[in-house]
Amino acid sequence: MENAWIIPLFPLLSFLFLIFFGKRLKGASAYIGILLSLASFVYSLLVLFERFSSPTHKAEAVWLTIGDIQLTAGFEVNQLNALMLVIVSLVSFLVHTYSKGYMHGDDRFHVYYAYLGLFTFAMLGLVLSPNLLQTYIFWELVGLGSFLLIGFYFYKEEAKKAAKKAFIMTRIGDVGLLIGMILLFWQVGSFEYDEIFAAVAAGSISTTMITLTAILIFVGAVGKSGQFPLHTWLPDAMEGPTPVSALIHAATMVAAGVYLVAALFPLFTASETALMTVATIGAITAIFAASIGLVQTDIKRVLAYSTVSQLGYMMLALGSAGYVAGVFHLMTHAFFKALLFLAAGSVIHAVHTQDIEKMGGLWKKLRVTGPLFLIGTLAISGVPLFSGFFSKDEILIAAWAHGNTVLFWLAVIAAFFTAFYMFRLFFMVFSGESRSDMSHVKESPGVMTIPMVILGILAVVAGYVNTPWFGTYLGDWLTEGNAALGHGHIEGPSWIMIVATVVSLLGIFLAWLIYCKRSLSRDWLGAKTMYNILYNKYYIDEFYELTVVKVMKFFSLFLHYIETFLVEGLVKGVSAAVSGLGRLGSKFHDGQVQRYGTVAFVGLAILIVVFAVTGGYLK
Amino acid sequence: MNFDYFLTFLVFSPLLGVLVLSFIPNTKESVIKTVGFLATLPALLLSLVAFFQYRAGVSLEELSENVRWVQFADPDTLGNLFSINYELGVDGLSLIMIVLTAILSTLAAVASMYIKKEWKGYFMLFLLLEVGMLGVFAAENLILFFIFFEITLIPTFFLIGKWGYFEKEKAAFSFLIYNGLGSAVLLIVIMVLFARTGTSNINALASILAADSQNLVFSSGTKMGLLIAMLIAFGVKLPIFPLHSWMVRVHVQAPPSVVMLHAGILLKIGAYGIIRFGMGIFPEQFQDIAVLIAVLGVVNLLYGAFLALIQKDFKMVLAYSSISHMGIVLIGLGAMNEAGIQGAIFQVVSHGLIAALLFFLVGVFYERLETSNIKNLGGLAKGMPITAGFLLAGAMASLGMPGMSGFVSEFMAFLGLFKELPILAAVGALGIILTAVYLLRAVLGITYGKAHREFAGVTDIRNKEWVPALVLLGIIVLIGVYPSVLSDPLTSTIETIIFKIGG
Repeated sequence: MENAWIIPLFPLLSFLFLIFFGKRLKGASAYIGILLSLASFVYSLLVLFERFSSPTHKAEAVWLTIGDIQLTAGFEVNQLNALMLVIVSLVSFLVHTYSKGYMHGDDRFHVYYAYLGLFTFAMLGLVLSPNLLQTYIFWELVGLGSFLLIGFYFYKEEAKKAAKKAFIMTRIGDVGLLIGMILLFWQVGSFEYDEIFAAVAAGSISTTMITLTAILIFVGAVGKSGQFPLHTWLPDAMEGPTPVSALIHAATMVAAGVYLVAALFPLFTASETALMTVATIGAITAIFAASIGLVQTDIKRVLAYSTVSQLGYMMLALGSAGYVAGVFHLMTHAFFKALLFLAAGSVIHAVHTQDIEKMGGLWKKLRVTGPLFLIGTLAISGVPLFSGFFSKDEILIAAWAHGNTVLFWLAVIAAFFTAFYMFRLFFMVFSGESRSDMSHVKESPGVMTIPMVILGILAVVAGYVNTPWFGTYLGDWLTEGNAALGHGHIEGPSWIMIVATVVSLLGIFLAWLIYCKRSLSRDWLGAKTMYNILYNKYYIDEFYELTVVKVMKFFSLFLHYIETFLVEGLVKGVSAAVSGLGRLGSKFHDGQVQRYGTVAFVGLAILIVVFAVTGGYLK
Repeated sequence: MNFDYFLTFLVFSPLLGVLVLSFIPNTKESVIKTVGFLATLPALLLSLVAFFQYRAGVSLEELSENVRWVQFADPDTLGNLFSINYELGVDGLSLIMIVLTAILSTLAAVASMYIKKEWKGYFMLFLLLEVGMLGVFAAENLILFFIFFEITLIPTFFLIGKWGYFEKEKAAFSFLIYNGLGSAVLLIVIMVLFARTGTSNINALASILAADSQNLVFSSGTKMGLLIAMLIAFGVKLPIFPLHSWMVRVHVQAPPSVVMLHAGILLKIGAYGIIRFGMGIFPEQFQDIAVLIAVLGVVNLLYGAFLALIQKDFKMVLAYSSISHMGIVLIGLGAMNEAGIQGAIFQVVSHGLIAALLFFLVGVFYERLETSNIKNLGGLAKGMPITAGFLLAGAMASLGMPGMSGFVSEFMAFLGLFKELPILAAVGALGIILTAVYLLRAVLGITYGKAHREFAGVTDIRNKEWVPALVLLGIIVLIGVYPSVLSDPLTSTIETIIFKIGG
């Protein structure tokens, strides 16, 4: 554990090596990336096992001195960090492997692996950070990794736009985080998590300040985790290669917002307002994104909206003081959503389209991908015995127990939506007859299917580390020795589990009726208006375009006119004055001795007057 | 180690090159370019020696030089009153500026390979400019400072006016008029100080004014007037809104190698002057107008950013970006605490490096494609992937990506201002978003997207071009990852300033 700092260095090495020498290696780049990410994963596993038996380890050194202030850098291995290390390095390793098949033949193969290395480095650095400043540094770096990978196909206009949008939207959030962090610093005098919590516990920060800083920091989480209203970048981020979507925009980076709130949990629990904000935004995002997911026709976009929606669930859990529930769902979601994306990638790899209207009947052709996709779909829908069932149940119980009744029912409806649109997706892709020429379709190679099988297994079993039936090992371990995080398990009425099950089965049944059996019309939404609103994502992009972007452009133009007329006018004035003065001066130099004499005399007279008035001294 | 006349030799070493150049015929292009490059090396070497000696614990006092120069009062009765000495000396801040100058000069000499005509004259002026810049930072008294300050003006004027682009003469003249007026104001300030106190030594002046709490030497109004005049003089240089328009022209019209020095060092003389003379000599008055400085900083930051947002030419984007980034210097200074001042100085160095890198890259692709218009350049990453990569890296550094120098300086400046004026700082923080917006718009517009043109036959960055790109990016990352390399040498300078303002 003392050497946990080495974990992020493997992928960093991979990045540096591939950036400088990758071009010569070509295809062999993949092996370097895969091996180094495997090394990270193995080391992370060792650290996790060590953490089971030993206490939190923390080490720091001075990074920057400002007067009396010493800012430090270092690493910390607590329960949450150790768990995140394993999740991140595992998914990263699997995606590295999978990409070898998926990206095969790309000209910039080595660049792709270099970027993956950079991202993994930043993400692992993020989860090891012992203080807010370091978290922020890696927080920005994961954003950079995400930006580079979204824009990987740089020659595509959409990819360029998506990358730019992702960077800017998350940066809006990041500024919130930065402000919150700095304000907190001047209250506490340190960026260290421990000292922040100590100050909060000691009551040395006013409640208003706690609420303000917590909400500002949450704004950062909103940006990164694609929460409403800064969610619009995440679906567009699907322009990146699909394995990247699995790693960054499903399993790890977008969960960083949830991780941040979890890491600062004692700060949030100190303010009921902050908690309420988190929970409300979470619940709204969950149902809002799920409703958009109902009508999308791009396989990756459906998954993207489901990611947004599931992240909303996690926020709802944390906002309802359900620390364990939030982190638990983060973990199970990482596995089943990575699985879904990789499976979707396998489908896209096979059929070369992302439009589900053109798919269908793939069950018979993709004999490995199909069942794995089904596992992922069952898990996310919350069907009993799959991992998502247990974690979603924890969230619903947390919301209920915390008294957020309205939010609880919103979450239940969102769960129904989720089951419905996920099975809509499944049936449209895999059941029935194909709706376009699918003769060339082949199952993906082993290098792609094996990572999916591993994730498939995890998507089933990962839930059993924390169940009301077999013991809440995860929850007990996570909260061990830290009362501020709440209990390992929150007791809730048992009908919640039944309601959740019924709702998800109902959603699946309805999807089956409409999209598989086709006994119900597909125009179930009836009114075209509603469909349009959902299909166009509530017109939020258009709204931003009309307001924020227009206002900004207008303001720029306004300043541009100030620049052209006022400032340039000043320039003209100055140069006119200078040349005017010059011309005036030159008039006296016209060669007439009389005039020279006059000027000299006047000058002398003025000097004498000044001399006389000031009494001989220039004071 | 013997340090006698170390600084003198450092400052005037580029003149050796001028001497050698005068014996070389004007037609021998490659010889001239080699000599021009080599002539920047002694200063680089010496400044690095001084830097590492200082880091190893050698006192900078040993470098001080003091020779009697001009006197016009009777030394027998009045002592040293009204004497102008030839005094050179450095502290942590000026040493860092000298190192920065030496590094950028060498790299700009490499970038001068794009100069197409009259190499001899070009390099003579170039080296003279370097002498001026080094001297500005080494001067220990105001008059010597002013002389070196003027030495920088004239070569720059000719370098812009002769080797620049289409509207070079216009740019050169507006440069001269604005900076000339700035100099005139500065001269008045210097003369008033000199006439009243009898000394122009910076430290002596600072202690005279520090002892003058009763306002006997100067009335408090005069002090404030002098400070404001000084701010105007250096504000032209920095530049502070609305005194900036000359600088936009220079950025666009001057050859890239000159802009590297102009954006990298010459603008920084403004910041250096404000810190050294404004804060150093008038700490109390500076404190009174700190809020104004911070407000000006936020205005600069946002104004530059908004205008950078709608520019069509990449050079214009960078010009307004410089204005915006100098706002961060003012923000840090306006905070008047350790974090702010350290942030401001970091920003001076950091922006010098980043601006030099970006303008060098402009030179690289302008040389091949003969345009810097964003629209005409789309899809550069297809034809020149490495250049595009450097460009993206430069943009990231500029918009404050952690791990690069821009972040550290921006972070500290805002950290400082949030302590004193949180609401103003929050408004300024909008600039962080805008910076990302305009830089990505410009850089992605150039490098990403569909290629608008054929890149057949266009070579990527090569041979000597690697040197400036790699060295600059390397230092930018070094400062970003290990900022102590810069903050340690600055410790005593900042302590002195903080002590003066009683912080």
